[in-house]
Amino acid sequence: MRLAIDKYAYLTSKIHRWEQSSKLVALLALIFAFAFVNKLVLLPAMIAVTIVLYTLSRLPFSFLLNRLCYPGFFIAAVVIFLPFVAGDTVIFSIGWLKIRQEGCLSVVLIVTRFICIFTASLVLFGTAPFLTSIKAMRSLGLSDTIVDMMVLSYRYLEELGEMRTKMQRAMKLRGFQVKIFNFRNLNTRAQLIGSLLIRSYDRSKRIYQAMILRGYGNKSGKYSQNRSKKNDRLSSVAFWITILIASCFIVAEIFYRN
Amino acid sequence: MHIPDGILPASISISGYAITGGVTWYSLRRINKEKNPQEKIPQASLLTAVFFVASLVHIPIVFTSIHLILNGVMGIILGYYAFPAILIGLFFQAVMFGHGGLSTLGINAVIMGIPALFAHHFFQLRKAISPKQQIWTGIWAFIAGGGALAMSASIFAFIVLTNISPDLDAQTEQKAIYISLAGYTIQAIIEGMFAAMLLSYLQRVKPEILKN
Repeated sequence: MRLAIDKYAYLTSKIHRWEQSSKLVALLALIFAFAFVNKLVLLPAMIAVTIVLYTLSRLPFSFLLNRLCYPGFFIAAVVIFLPFVAGDTVIFSIGWLKIRQEGCLSVVLIVTRFICIFTASLVLFGTAPFLTSIKAMRSLGLSDTIVDMMVLSYRYLEELGEMRTKMQRAMKLRGFQVKIFNFRNLNTRAQLIGSLLIRSYDRSKRIYQAMILRGYGNKSGKYSQNRSKKNDRLSSVAFWITILIASCFIVAEIFYRN
Repeated sequence: MHIPDGILPASISISGYAITGGVTWYSLRRINKEKNPQEKIPQASLLTAVFFVASLVHIPIVFTSIHLILNGVMGIILGYYAFPAILIGLFFQAVMFGHGGLSTLGINAVIMGIPALFAHHFFQLRKAISPKQQIWTGIWAFIAGGGALAMSASIFAFIVLTNISPDLDAQTEQKAIYISLAGYTIQAIIEGMFAAMLLSYLQRVKPEILKN
């Protein structure tokens, strides 16, 4: 199964060659460092680091733009309302509508932080197959129960999505009015999800039996990656540079005074 | 009801991860105390995938539509597996669709997951208190499903509005919290009705799913 996030996971950029568990730790540190930034003066540096990271990953710009659409709605609501309600310093007014400086600055901070963190997350998970990322999490000590649940959920996600679409199409063909809200329609939708739950529940028992037959539960095999010495060196250099940059942001945020 | 990246200060995001770490540890401890914890992993995983898919179902309301959250129903059906399941669902949504975010994954899990565990314990009470008729399952499911969503919405509104900007005055914050809660109350009622219908259906067709 190949999801949209895996579309560019097989390119050969330096970021793609960076070992995933080391990338995971370093880029998560960078993401939290970005979240830590509250001073406007640090925003240009944050944008510059993000641009360099995204350029090095060689992911297409359209990939980022397409994925920015949905979360953009929440951010759009913040951009629209915050300048009118936050702060006291009025910089512009039309009748009773007043645009305030503090609100505008908060919007700049929130939007920049959002785009930079979002881009870093996309680089983190868009430059390696999703299953490799899950294996990397296991190698970093994530609980086996959670990793197993993650892998199995991932495995059946698309299949169940298709099943839901087929069932919804069948409902429509039998005259179900999708756009009408009433008690009967809500009940039909509940029964649709109920049927999906029952099918999956029955199937899960068969899956468990198949897994037991294949030796599930026996501790063997560890996460390993075919790594060359060259990639090891690249990974360790990329790791320390990213950690250094993340630390610089945190130190600057704490000690820099306007 | 997902908080995107960049909205909250780092202290809140890190606290969210700390709480999520604690609750996940406790949930896994409870799961490992079960007779055969491995047996339930495929079941919990597939149901996690179903809930993920179900949350994409849109319910039309007047001019707009809402999507189901179903954290209360997850708590009722999955028990202590609900918290890791919600964490996984949120992680998938953040990575695959960009809903929520990586820095806010912890706090989003707290918002959705803790009410799910409350719903689980609340629904367990029905065994001790009320008779086994289907109507009672519906009533308990309505309160647990709708209540979990109302609880999530309250935590969400409180966290977002008190942390979004230090320049937002207390009165505006209060007003915004009330307005958003009014909107979420309608969604909580619909979610409660949906939970009641779903759980009644499951009790009629496959009661063993509710034995958790």
